[in-house]
Amino acid sequence: MAMEKRLIKKGELAGIVGRIAGDMSLLAPVKEEDNVLFELVKDGVTALPDFKNTKNAPKSFFFPRSETLMRYIRKQKGMEFAGLEKDEQGERVLFGVRPCDARSFAILDLLFDQDKYKDPYYIEKRNKTTVVAMSCAKVPYATCFCTSVGGSPTSTDGSDVLLTDLGDEFLAEFLTDKGKGLLKYFGDKTADAQADKKKEEIAASAEKEIKTSIPAKEIKGFLDANFEHPFWDTIHKKCLACGTCTFMCPTCHCFDIQDEVKAADGKRVRNWDSCMFPLFTKETSGHNPRPSQKERWRQRFMHKFRYYVDMFGPIACVGCGRCVMSCPVNIDIRKIVADISKL
Amino acid sequence: MENVEKKLQEEAKKLLADKKVDVVIGYERGTLPLTATPVFITDAGDAEKLVYDATCVQNLAKYAHDIISAHREAQKKVKPEDRKNKVVGVVARGCTTRSLVIQLQERQYDRESIVILGVPCDGYIDPKKFNLALDGEQAAEGSVNGDQIAVKTLAGEKKFALKDVLADNCITCRFNNPVISDVVIGDKAPAKAADKEYEKVDAFEKLSTEERWAYFTKEMSKCIRCYACRNACPSCYCKVCFVEQTMPQFVGTSAEQTDTQIFQLLRTFHMVGRCVDCGSCVSVCPMGVDLRNFLKKLDKDALELFEHRAGASMEDVPPLSTYRENDKEDFIYNP
Repeated sequence: MAMEKRLIKKGELAGIVGRIAGDMSLLAPVKEEDNVLFELVKDGVTALPDFKNTKNAPKSFFFPRSETLMRYIRKQKGMEFAGLEKDEQGERVLFGVRPCDARSFAILDLLFDQDKYKDPYYIEKRNKTTVVAMSCAKVPYATCFCTSVGGSPTSTDGSDVLLTDLGDEFLAEFLTDKGKGLLKYFGDKTADAQADKKKEEIAASAEKEIKTSIPAKEIKGFLDANFEHPFWDTIHKKCLACGTCTFMCPTCHCFDIQDEVKAADGKRVRNWDSCMFPLFTKETSGHNPRPSQKERWRQRFMHKFRYYVDMFGPIACVGCGRCVMSCPVNIDIRKIVADISKL
Repeated sequence: MENVEKKLQEEAKKLLADKKVDVVIGYERGTLPLTATPVFITDAGDAEKLVYDATCVQNLAKYAHDIISAHREAQKKVKPEDRKNKVVGVVARGCTTRSLVIQLQERQYDRESIVILGVPCDGYIDPKKFNLALDGEQAAEGSVNGDQIAVKTLAGEKKFALKDVLADNCITCRFNNPVISDVVIGDKAPAKAADKEYEKVDAFEKLSTEERWAYFTKEMSKCIRCYACRNACPSCYCKVCFVEQTMPQFVGTSAEQTDTQIFQLLRTFHMVGRCVDCGSCVSVCPMGVDLRNFLKKLDKDALELFEHRAGASMEDVPPLSTYRENDKEDFIYNP
């Protein structure tokens, strides 16, 4: 069956967003003080009509910064299980996700929703969410490098609907059954071959506009062979050991599980962790197999460009450039890749 | 500042060539337009990598402390007769020298362990103000020409005045020349508007308790606990921060607001008489939390209660390390 496609006039988009937001939770890029953030659209909070990308990665809607897994009650003797945490929210829509960030969902699915291990918390949120992505008809940033890591400005990976700005109109492509659930909001003007052609042209020109190209796929051989190498001494010296890069990253997904107890009420929570933190792999004995920032940086880099590739196929980087823009001391992952390729 | 940069390179080269220092901590060009990044020069031939201008943001005293402590730790594993000294050269403007003074006063290392390359400062570009001036666009190229900044973005070209994007702490800086130096580089920088230093704090103090608390909770709700502020701070050098202690654990690591507030409150209170207003914590914060307002309030308290300006001179005694009979105590709760 051919893919459902619709054309909508530019001016109609805000109305569509409003109607969806009236029927279910809709999260979209919103201006919050000086930042553009993904937030719930409601009275007084409107989706930005035009934006580059959000400061925060939308992974937090499937893998929140802090999430309760289960609750228990402390009794005279031991603990009593008080139930798994349920996701109380209904259907929701993530609107205006950039293709790189949508790809991060596809990449995270490989880990959280794999054959031998299924994460019910992640999967439930993922199933309840329809991802409406917005192609990068104009490349947002000079630091963008999605095409170097397997993505593109019009990639459909991880999206249910893909919108592309054709100039006067948006082309809406309904990629999945979940995406088709939103068809009724998009009117009935079906897309013709001319719209497809125009989209292809836009996709090709956007890809050419990407300024950064790094040999991300060509360094795997070096990484496989060089767990020990003097190069690993050169990245970390100025690193502040903060968690900015990992917290901003759409694919970083390491977590820490803790029990929190207030009087008799206990809960088990899963919080974001960061391989940049000294506590990350510290063992109960006090020993830490990654004693310095050198080993921590090697881990972060290897995880993205070697281990994830070995385990699941894709590089665990979507080229959004958030870490490049946010690192307080300008540790630039593009430069690390380029430097390694020269070794 | 061009001459300063050249002179700085020469002095660093000389210090390294003469083996007066083992490393020079300075700034080199960053990979993004109009940025500089910390660099550690160990080879005299690399001294020309050093840059010095309004793009140099971080307070390098943090690295001086970290390098010396790491060296000292490593030396513990070496036989006493084989132990070596390490001397660290630091490119230091006013605020950096004040941080070095604090570290020296707090006996973090000996005076002989550091060589201070004192540089004048006209202020640095606040990354957040710079981004706001670009109105959502990202700089693809950029240059500073005198007091003007020219930037090329993917959407076109933009020009604006350098003074409009200087960090708040630089605009009202009282110590934009080194307070302590071993090698003085360049002429003194002209004074800044130091008399307006506490303008914002004065206004904040006039708000009601509820309004101040509301502002505090709003700002702290942005915090994602990445700890960039703490890690960038030259005065935050505890080996294990209280938020990372696990036996027992004092503070939760969830997104619980009170935990975040406790972390920030305690960090702020640890800064009484120790914050030099270098702005590093503010510049590194990815979420734009207004940390400065609260730090500046405590700075003002230290001045008013103890006539103390943090790190202003080696002779000043830090307020929390001493006792005077006439110390004010009217803030102590009296039931």
